[in-house]
Amino acid sequence: MIAFWILALLMIASAVFTVTAKKPVYSVVGLLANFVCLAALYLELQAEFLAVIQIVVYSGAILILFVFVIALLSSGVRPFDVGPNRAPHILYPAIVIAVLALAGMTVSALRTPVAVVQLPVGQTGDANAFGSVGNFGTALFTTNLLPFEVTAFILMVAVIGVVLIAGDEDPTTGVVRRRKRPGAREPIVKSEPTIR
Amino acid sequence: MSVAPENYIALSAVLFFIGVVGVISRRNPLIMLMAVELLFNSANLALVAYARAWANNAGHIFAFLVITVAAAEAAIALAIVAVTFRRTPFVDVDEVSALKG
Amino acid sequence: MLLYFIWLLPLLGGVLLWAFGPQLKSWAGPIGSALIGVSFAATVVLWNDASAPGGLHVPLVTWLPGWSFGLQLDKLSLIWSLIITGVGFLIHVYSIGYMDGDKAFARFFAYMNFFVFAMMTLVLSDNVVGLLVGWGLVGLASYFLIGFWFEKPSAVAAARKAFVMNVVGDVGLMFAIFLLVQHIGSISYADIFTHFAVLASFSPHVTFLVCLGLFIGCAAKSAQIPLHTWLPDAMEGPTPVSALIHAATMVTAGVYLIARFAPLWSASPDAQQLVGVIGALTAIAGAILGCAQWDIKRILAYSTMSQIGYMIMGVGVGAYQSGVFHFLTHAFFKAQLFLAAGIVIHALANEQDVRRMGGLRTRMPFAFIAIGVGVLAISGVPGFSGFFSKDAVVYGALETGHPWLYAIGVITAGVTAYYMFRLLFLTFFGPYRGDVDPSDLGIRHPELAGIAPASAGRAASSGHHPEEEEPHRHAPSWLMSGPVAILIVPTIFIGFLDWGGANSPWGRFFDGFFPHASEAAAHAPAISEIVSTALVFVVVVIGFAIAFWRYGTTVAQRDAIARLRTESIRMPAVLVNAYYFDAAYEALLVRPARALGGWFDRFVDPHVIDAGVREAAWSAQWLGHLFRSFQTGLVRAYALTLALGVVCIVAYYAFAFTGGVR
Repeated sequence: MIAFWILALLMIASAVFTVTAKKPVYSVVGLLANFVCLAALYLELQAEFLAVIQIVVYSGAILILFVFVIALLSSGVRPFDVGPNRAPHILYPAIVIAVLALAGMTVSALRTPVAVVQLPVGQTGDANAFGSVGNFGTALFTTNLLPFEVTAFILMVAVIGVVLIAGDEDPTTGVVRRRKRPGAREPIVKSEPTIR
Repeated sequence: MSVAPENYIALSAVLFFIGVVGVISRRNPLIMLMAVELLFNSANLALVAYARAWANNAGHIFAFLVITVAAAEAAIALAIVAVTFRRTPFVDVDEVSALKG
Repeated sequence: MLLYFIWLLPLLGGVLLWAFGPQLKSWAGPIGSALIGVSFAATVVLWNDASAPGGLHVPLVTWLPGWSFGLQLDKLSLIWSLIITGVGFLIHVYSIGYMDGDKAFARFFAYMNFFVFAMMTLVLSDNVVGLLVGWGLVGLASYFLIGFWFEKPSAVAAARKAFVMNVVGDVGLMFAIFLLVQHIGSISYADIFTHFAVLASFSPHVTFLVCLGLFIGCAAKSAQIPLHTWLPDAMEGPTPVSALIHAATMVTAGVYLIARFAPLWSASPDAQQLVGVIGALTAIAGAILGCAQWDIKRILAYSTMSQIGYMIMGVGVGAYQSGVFHFLTHAFFKAQLFLAAGIVIHALANEQDVRRMGGLRTRMPFAFIAIGVGVLAISGVPGFSGFFSKDAVVYGALETGHPWLYAIGVITAGVTAYYMFRLLFLTFFGPYRGDVDPSDLGIRHPELAGIAPASAGRAASSGHHPEEEEPHRHAPSWLMSGPVAILIVPTIFIGFLDWGGANSPWGRFFDGFFPHASEAAAHAPAISEIVSTALVFVVVVIGFAIAFWRYGTTVAQRDAIARLRTESIRMPAVLVNAYYFDAAYEALLVRPARALGGWFDRFVDPHVIDAGVREAAWSAQWLGHLFRSFQTGLVRAYALTLALGVVCIVAYYAFAFTGGVR
């Protein structure tokens, strides 16, 4: 009970920190904290396998990817967020819309009464208990085999897509090979960064 | 389940709120993407909470699928970011306006 | 099966000559003629099968119940097939000579073979749909052949006119077929004739409409008033075409149609009455117009129209046997007249105006004999074929209780004799007038009068006989004179088939074939047949006498030029303009249609259609501008829109979807 409230507060705080941080690296740290707390909440919700996945995939893989990209983009002296703000007042409609979404979700949650099913006591950690690896795996590979395979296909498409998108740079020379298109702007890679 | 599921849903909604505000208000594409991750996770939290409430692990399966899709999305989005912002002086989504009508 | 050969050999010829015409060169004519000749031989071989009761029937395809297609050769089809292939063969042979040197020699024979195929489809079909197909195809073939010399604008116009008027008839025929299929549910003649009596007994108006539709088709194809105006213009085609299509076969398809559907007509006396009256009117109107023509082919064209009027009158009053017999004799003597006229035209280098002929008796004795025999036959001089058939038709009208039609028929016989002998006298007697200045003969517009401009101009300016310097002129070859010589035999003697009334070969052949043939005898005619024959003969002699008095006497021949001039100038306008039918069509149909088209051009097209297109384009542009403003290129604005979508979905679940998730 208390653990939930502490974790909830931590999650909200880390989320706010994530979206307000000045530098992306700070955001990564906030997001990491958020994910760890979420994993703890999963554990409390008896989703053991998902808790582990949350740590391994999100914290371990995705966040590291973010860090790599941050390192890649800021390897020069390039500043973030310095172009002209083309929509300076977008925050207000954003908040209005987000509040509306929040209210809508709250209302729908309240209008959907949930009768909590009590699980047998003392079975947490059991091999076939609800949310355990065995329980999850059985469900994944029997009832939900087709979605699982579709997932694999999505990942493969993503891999191919990334290779196609990011692969137009010659790894040996670092020269970007681009097909000349009529009217295409010349890349401005060589120019010194300017502050407008 | 010591805490009522409504609490989890409320927490999920608040996280979603923060994520939406982040996506819309920030100009740094990396932070926008992280806010998107927040959105994914808030949805996951709701799924897992309901799964526990009804003792039905279909929610777990769905959360798993969401994580997979999030991973794919992150990979592709970061690749686009990397490719796009290698060519512009600013890491700023307002600069990426080739689709302007 | 020989029937297939009869039917498909002409098609084979048409396709072959069309595809390989340039390679076949001068062989095209003999090949085309030979195929028709084989077809004729096959028809003769099938004589016994066809004249058996029920005839010869070959099913081809069954598409649906009641929709079976097949070929049928019964007595009626047999008569038509023999004429189409037999006379067709002779005319093909004649064409080899006549069309010699034409640059589209092979194309001509391809069209001619195609026409024979279409005509055979028409008469051999055992169902109304096949009939309609043949009906349309002969119209198409006629269009091709009238417009054969498509460099001539007048030929193209005539072809178009013929086609349009024929389509009017096709539509009438089509509606009749629709009604038949709707009420009887079958397309085969046998079913229609079996069930038609029942239909006629409880819905006479449908019966009348069917007959009316059939008659509209018949009137357009057979040049009956008021759909006749295309036939004189159709003489723009080559003369063999006029002989085969616009005299012997195609224009008599209407007669075939009525004879074929005899059971239907017998069930609808009103329609029968209409047909008889229209036929008689056409006969007299065509004959009177024939007196006012100067173009030899147009005289023959109006005489064709008039003679078909006789046939239609005959089949219309129920004297089917006589009507068909008149078709038979007419096919021979009219083909012969046209072919002989073709020899004259050919020899005079395309001169067609009888005012510029004359005295050809000594120069073209063969043509004189041929045309003379034809004139005797068509006028109904005793002993010649026309005498028997025309008499039978005219007396048939009296027998079936139509004294007025009988009277018209008798008068027409006199008028026919007049204009045919007029043709004969003008062409072959008196002085030759080809070297006289056209204006002295009252020819005001040489081009419009159908005079070949080259020969007219040269003859008029130089004063020489045109044949002396005309390169096209040559004596008729045996290819041209042979068929004419052969045709003289039936022209004289075919009439004797009907010698002896019901016991004649013709009467026995068709004994019991047509319905109500016996009912005709029920009426007691006011005068006996021999008296009627004598009356017709007297009228014919009067007609001949007037023609002789006006054109044949020594005085008339001596003053021919001045007389022709006076006659040309004083010709009544109503006859020159052919009763103003064309003018009426112009005023009632063509001008309103043009006006409507002009209105569409000036108002509907710019202000409705174009405006619609313009406005549609403008709206698309405006919408594009509108949506363009949404495409800011600002990623965060897109995200905002997405979030708005999320709000909408959530709102749906929050307010509309009240049943709970489970």
